[in-house]
Amino acid sequence: MLLENKYYKVLRAREEGEGKAVYHIAILPDCNVYNGHFPGNPVCPGVCNIQTIKECASLLIGKELRISSIKQCLFTAIASPTVCPEVDVEVEVKEAGGSYTIVASISDEKRQYMTFKGEGV
Amino acid sequence: MTDIKNLIPQRSPIMMVDELLEAHDDVARCSLTIREDNFFLESDGTIAEPGVIEHIAQSASAFAGYDAMQSGATEPPVGFIGEVKRFRLFRRPLKGETLVTTITMGPTVGGVTIISGETVSDNETIATTQMKIYVAGE
Repeated sequence: MLLENKYYKVLRAREEGEGKAVYHIAILPDCNVYNGHFPGNPVCPGVCNIQTIKECASLLIGKELRISSIKQCLFTAIASPTVCPEVDVEVEVKEAGGSYTIVASISDEKRQYMTFKGEGV
Repeated sequence: MTDIKNLIPQRSPIMMVDELLEAHDDVARCSLTIREDNFFLESDGTIAEPGVIEHIAQSASAFAGYDAMQSGATEPPVGFIGEVKRFRLFRRPLKGETLVTTITMGPTVGGVTIISGETVSDNETIATTQMKIYVAGE
């Protein structure tokens, strides 16, 4: 997958029942994305966190998902490898007629960084 | 129009706009050609969906940067995505394709601007979305 072991690394995963899991991940500070986002001021690109959610959802169902729509994705705090070196990615995936609804959030013990509701195929 | 580096704060490897093609009133158009070194390029020669979202966000950022420059700013403003809403992707763009995105700026309230974006490739709609963008320090 595109960003696994490049932008983030899964440290452990905990299944929470059918179609639901929490991935505890490290946000890798040496990823080259921070050369450009932003020079001298590393901030996690929100879209990389969307991709991370999609990849965790893919790990959960054992199939590489593609996002077809996003109902709403909220970025509630700025994330960076220094602000939040490790976070929990909580994902729930449900299949409905060949597509999947994905509900997810990224948070640590201090705060929530984003919430996501979308569909994948 | 202007060197894109004067309009957006992002740098390689995550520059997702090549050019601001036009900007007037509340509408702007930006372009991006998907190259071999694109950060979001997958092994199948398409770019991952979040890459399209980033391209739309940076198109809005370039528009804001153009407006800021017209008002005398010397550095492009650093904007963050606050919300992505009603994003639809019709297909993933391919390496070699040139995306053209039209940004329509909505109202700005408390430093947060609502924008809508539509991305096309050769008149085929690739993606549509709404976003809220806020600028750091405002």
